[in-house]
Amino acid sequence: MIGEFLTRLRFLFSLRKHGDLADELRFHVEQSTAANIAAGMTAEDARRRALIEFGGMERTREQTFEQRPGWWLGTVAQDLRYALRGFRRNPVFTITVIATLALGIGATTAVFSVVDRILFRSLPYAHDDRLVSFGLVQPLEKQEFTLGGFFFDWQDNQKPFQAVTYEAGSSECNLTEADPVHLHCSQVAQNFLPTLGVSPIAGRNFVPEEDHPNAPKVALISDGLWLSRYNRDPGVVNKTVMIDDHAVRIVGVLPMDFEMPRLQQADVLFPAQVDRAAQNKQNSGIGQPLWAYARLRPGVSVKEAKAEMEPLFLHTQQWIPAEIRKGFQLQVRTIRDRQMQEAYTVAWVLLGAVFAVLLIACANVAGLFSARGAARERELAVRSALGASRGRLIRQTLTEAFLLSAGGAALGCVLAEILLRAFVAIAPTGVPFLADARLDLRIVLFAALVTILCAALFGILPALEKPRATALAGRQSRSGANARLRRVLVAMQIAVSVVLLSGASLLVKSFWNLERQSLGMQTSGVIMVHVPLNREHYPTGFLDFYLRAESAFSRLPGVTAVGLGDSVPPDANSWHDATRYSELVVVGRPPTPPGVGGTVVTRIVTPGYFRALQIPIIEGPGFTEAERKSNGKFMILSKQLASRLFPEGNAIGQHIERPEFNPYFVHGPVYTVVGVAGDVKNAGLTGEDDPELYQLGNDSPDTWGRHHEFLLATSLPVSIVAPWIRSQVAQLDPMAPVQIDTLSQTISKLADRPRFETALLGFFALCGLAMSVIGLYGVIAFLAAQRTQEIGVRMALGATRINILRLIAGEGLRLIAVGGIVGLGAALILARLLKSLLYNVGPHDPEIYAVAVLLLALVALAATLIPARAAMRVEPVEALRYE
Amino acid sequence: MPPSTDLLQGTLDLLILQTLALEPMHGWGVAQRIEQVSKNVLQIGQGSLYPALHRLEYKGWIKSDWGSSENNRRAKFYSLTATGRRRLEAELETWERLSSAIGLVLSRVPEATA
Repeated sequence: MIGEFLTRLRFLFSLRKHGDLADELRFHVEQSTAANIAAGMTAEDARRRALIEFGGMERTREQTFEQRPGWWLGTVAQDLRYALRGFRRNPVFTITVIATLALGIGATTAVFSVVDRILFRSLPYAHDDRLVSFGLVQPLEKQEFTLGGFFFDWQDNQKPFQAVTYEAGSSECNLTEADPVHLHCSQVAQNFLPTLGVSPIAGRNFVPEEDHPNAPKVALISDGLWLSRYNRDPGVVNKTVMIDDHAVRIVGVLPMDFEMPRLQQADVLFPAQVDRAAQNKQNSGIGQPLWAYARLRPGVSVKEAKAEMEPLFLHTQQWIPAEIRKGFQLQVRTIRDRQMQEAYTVAWVLLGAVFAVLLIACANVAGLFSARGAARERELAVRSALGASRGRLIRQTLTEAFLLSAGGAALGCVLAEILLRAFVAIAPTGVPFLADARLDLRIVLFAALVTILCAALFGILPALEKPRATALAGRQSRSGANARLRRVLVAMQIAVSVVLLSGASLLVKSFWNLERQSLGMQTSGVIMVHVPLNREHYPTGFLDFYLRAESAFSRLPGVTAVGLGDSVPPDANSWHDATRYSELVVVGRPPTPPGVGGTVVTRIVTPGYFRALQIPIIEGPGFTEAERKSNGKFMILSKQLASRLFPEGNAIGQHIERPEFNPYFVHGPVYTVVGVAGDVKNAGLTGEDDPELYQLGNDSPDTWGRHHEFLLATSLPVSIVAPWIRSQVAQLDPMAPVQIDTLSQTISKLADRPRFETALLGFFALCGLAMSVIGLYGVIAFLAAQRTQEIGVRMALGATRINILRLIAGEGLRLIAVGGIVGLGAALILARLLKSLLYNVGPHDPEIYAVAVLLLALVALAATLIPARAAMRVEPVEALRYE
Repeated sequence: MPPSTDLLQGTLDLLILQTLALEPMHGWGVAQRIEQVSKNVLQIGQGSLYPALHRLEYKGWIKSDWGSSENNRRAKFYSLTATGRRRLEAELETWERLSSAIGLVLSRVPEATA
């Protein structure tokens, strides 16, 4: 076997003379001739006879030659050379195909690589598809949560899960050693890591004893902290560090890719040390909030798990106050679903756009190859007549398709890498894991394969049917079926382009609306200062610090107003307090039925808040410094809330009671309405505004927490003011970390995501448009060229040039009309998917569709008119001679 | 001219190998020898002879050398290699088995139908 192979190899590389075979065959004929002469023939007859007996000399030579190993390789080289020669002869075709392929493959790969990370990335947990997050949802909190008051009953009595665990939330914390660092600490159950299937890379997980209330403090630290603080020193395990002035022993280090299921930052994990027995007393008896996760039992689906949890939920529901019971729902979903939320919509829209572009690219390549095939019918007939087998012709086409696809794929890779970098650069921080997106070679391969298939399929069609003898004559060289196919392809491209264009236009308009909307407040020249103080240093509360910082900031030069609030609009991702509308009881009026009216954004602010953000007080005096120092309860309503509560416009001076939950609703503090303020965006940039109420933050210690933000209005740039702010804070508390942002930056970041979506979809729409226009131009130009002779005849018979223009352009217009109408229909249906991404634009905005269709029609018309004009200029005499 | 019998490709290879087993021979000689031995039943067309010879050579079963023919012409002589000889024995064995099997089937058929 090996010997045989070596022999073949030897022949492959030994160059044998062609002459050998000729000599051998000549000898054969001579021998036959000699034999015939010996049999008594004349010399001439003998030779003639020998040649006849021998048969086709050339054919024998060919067949013998084909036995040679590597002969096949030689023909491949031949095919390649032939294909390259053909490409050189027809550069427009070549460039168009390669450009189309590069765009198609590049765009598809880049976006798919991005979307892949969002939609299909595997979570850093073992068997992540079996992990769920479960709990209650209600109108104020749409992300499932549980409460200590019932969680442990659920944990003990549940059936669908193999293991149930929880985390008790995250908070800011400080590493209070020399060179203090601001960290994020999470509290987790002892079985949290084992349930997720995560094991520490150094040290160990918590042991059950460490999770008992009041056990000595231990912690696991993140790989990031391990690296930045301890340079990955293995000796960190069992080291004792100071966190928020407590001695904490580090017992382990988390893996590098570890992340919390809710994706919150976590530098340090503590055992939650939840006191189970105390849950019925804590937090008005409902217990502390816990976020529950579980691993499904084998064979149990998420849906089944939810059904099995339903009885426990119903039991718990009895325990929720009747007033708000209806709003609560049970939620069980995979951790992945919880993480992705609305990123799904974006990802699917992008994926759809990608496939649309790939579809256009394929149709384009198919159309081009099919046109080329038809144009080469005669050439194929000639090759076939010269002895090329059908297999050989098919292989030739495949070689061409492969060469072009390889070129397109190579260029596409380069393009994809560039695009990917561009995407990552403009991508908002809100799109999870985008920064990790890498070019996915599998996708390059996939896209290249799809386009090769398209090219090969449509290139082979003309080669498949045995070239007809008539094709040799070159008279009737149009195959009708292929021409029809090409028209369908072009109409389809136009239709897909309409879909892409209208989708992109919708997003552009939505983004335009978003950028130009009034937020109801001043955003430029507002600096946000956040000082997460260390609770241990302020046993009597933060009031003193806040008052001193406020007065220090207001003395800074160039600072015109200083306000303080417990949250800041437009509240996209940040926390803000909320109240149920039905829990605002106007004194002297019957309460609104529970569960009616939705929620009201609630903020605790100082009088300076309105000055710093320039939110107008439309009615009433507003908050005063005197009221702030008093112990009274005062409230300012937003215009929207005031007109709902007091449609007659008599809000000022009214009293509003806020009942307290304890554990059922009882009378609570009564507030006096002292003002009505202008509406401010308070549900992110795109959300529907909620009514809002401002509660005056009194000078009492329990009003101010560590999350509150200072708002400074200043005409000076932040780079000048920031160091002053830092030094002022350092004078008050040298250990306090200071975080300084400008409001306009924060808001601009909120627009990152729509900007990203708009840019991507716009890019696709342009790609798609360019490709379909190329396709349209190609088909019309080709049809016109094929009809040159016909045009000559028509002109000779008296057709005017305008008639000719109409004939050729009419073809294009029909395709545009058909494609446009089909596309419009599809776009109107598909636009509904975009609805959640749109702001202040209906998905069926007529203006947008008119613009999209008009734009496409104009460009397509140009693509039609250029070849049509060329056809119009044809000289009849020349055209008649044309062959 | 008696009608020529179509030969299966493998059979032609076997015939060539068997012929060359006797002595080195040129292409014409091989064709003549097969014709003579088969009493003109097996006529080897040159269209299949030379591709077969070259194929066998590429496989390494036969080798070729240029030499002088009986009438002193330059001719290419083919001879069996060691591999070819082993191959021939194996092929012959297969052929014997096959032909005796076919013979059995063919002689049985009339009995079965009778």
